[in-house]
Amino acid sequence: MSGGLAQGAQPREAPIEEPPLASRRGDEPPHRWLRWLRWLAATGRFAKRRISFLCMLAAASWGVLREAIRPLSWRRTVRHEFRITMRQATIGGLATTFVTASLAGFAVVSEMLYWLGVAGEAGLAGSLLVTVLVRELTPLLVGLILLGRSGMLTLTEFGMLKVGGQVRTMISQGIDPFLLLVLPRTLAMSLSGFTLGMLFAAVALVMGYIVSAALGTTQDSLWTFLDKVVSAMTVRDYMVIPAKLFAIGYLVGLSSCLTGLTASSEDDLASLMPRGFVRGILVIMVTSILLTLAV
Amino acid sequence: MKATDPILELDAARPYFDQSALPNTSFDLRLMAGECALVVTHDADRATALSDLCSGMLDLRRGSVRFMGLDWSELGHERAFALRGRIGRLPQRGAWISMLRTHVNILLPQLHHTRAPLDTLVGQGVELARQVGLPGLPVSRPETMPEADLMRAACVRAFMGEPRLLLLEHSISADSDELTTPLLNLLTASLDRGAAAICFTRDNSLWRTQAFPVAHRLHLLEDGLTPMRSIKANTRRSIKTATMRSP
Repeated sequence: MSGGLAQGAQPREAPIEEPPLASRRGDEPPHRWLRWLRWLAATGRFAKRRISFLCMLAAASWGVLREAIRPLSWRRTVRHEFRITMRQATIGGLATTFVTASLAGFAVVSEMLYWLGVAGEAGLAGSLLVTVLVRELTPLLVGLILLGRSGMLTLTEFGMLKVGGQVRTMISQGIDPFLLLVLPRTLAMSLSGFTLGMLFAAVALVMGYIVSAALGTTQDSLWTFLDKVVSAMTVRDYMVIPAKLFAIGYLVGLSSCLTGLTASSEDDLASLMPRGFVRGILVIMVTSILLTLAV
Repeated sequence: MKATDPILELDAARPYFDQSALPNTSFDLRLMAGECALVVTHDADRATALSDLCSGMLDLRRGSVRFMGLDWSELGHERAFALRGRIGRLPQRGAWISMLRTHVNILLPQLHHTRAPLDTLVGQGVELARQVGLPGLPVSRPETMPEADLMRAACVRAFMGEPRLLLLEHSISADSDELTTPLLNLLTASLDRGAAAICFTRDNSLWRTQAFPVAHRLHLLEDGLTPMRSIKANTRRSIKTATMRSP
């Protein structure tokens, strides 16, 4: 009996699982492959989105430079927008830059002078300050100030313009948003980056010296101290410091503009601002590192 | 552009269906200088889409759209933007740039496209503002202005700089009665100067009561721009046939 069925007994059918629709058709991959493909597609989408922003940033960088050298681009509306952004980013950012530079001077310069004095390496102060404070820290902190004060404002304004259909209104009036909005803001923020960076470095060094002199950790006069710093600068520093300040301001401005102008109808401030902030931070860090390595 | 050339010519223009709210069909229209077309539609999005088509803002699958003798699809980016500056639009919902004050919004296209002195532009704006019932150029922010004043300001913006083509998307209705007469006066003056215009409306009967010369009366329907006369004739014919067949 073991091998067969008792007469009259109905064969007990094992419950047959319904195969998924995809495998029944035979033209689609089975379930686990489908899941794998979905994961792959999501990864691809994620990477594509990041790469597409990079490509857009590169193309728009070239576009801004190309438009900037054409006299026809500098219409009065564009000049006006440039002036407003310069005022907002530079004059508006003076107080923040001054306070941040003072704190950096207190924290970095005075501490460095103190510990180099303790270690008996006070002669290295000039080159260390140039490398750490002026070349690396200043562009980073000025980039952050620009991103926080002006970049996020630009991002919010442009995002709302895009979502509200006002960019389309501009196009219907024959006004190129790239010319009226992106070009002046990017260039103004680039110039502002350089201006604030120079101010930042000067204030940080002077404030650091004042604190060190007050604590008695340096015996030099202010001019001797500044002369040591300037003497420690090489040709490379004279190239890389302005390049970093201009490039960081430029890319922070451009990245904010593009993030705002590529907002979709589903975007709101809660989704736009973190995206713009992350992109801005990445742009600052990557530009700084690349220029340090390249020059 | 020759004097005999139309200001606007839609020649079997068929935009991509997924790009706009327009029906999937070809559009034909020829507007000479001084002509006005009245387009009856109940769909505001379609009116905006047709205006976009006339302004060269939609890609075409087939056909062409020519404005002042120039084919939008053959123009470069810069020339297309410059040419769009010769069009005055009265959009459905104001379409104001929120980061600018109303007077800057009004003057912006002229400031961008021309080198006319600011005083001249302000003078022109103030004159137009008075004609539509405003005391002068409004300087407050658009979101703080009453709807009626904002509509007047939109009229001023549309007629600034003597545009060659007017696209009046905002439908003149019975409740915009105060604005109707000054708007039609401005429109008449523009047409006399050699401009062409497309006026969108939901209510054709309102335009019948106005003594205003309309060159084309069209319906924007599923099969494109259809002359009203042919619709009426078709309707009349079908009624007649139905009557004859009935016992």
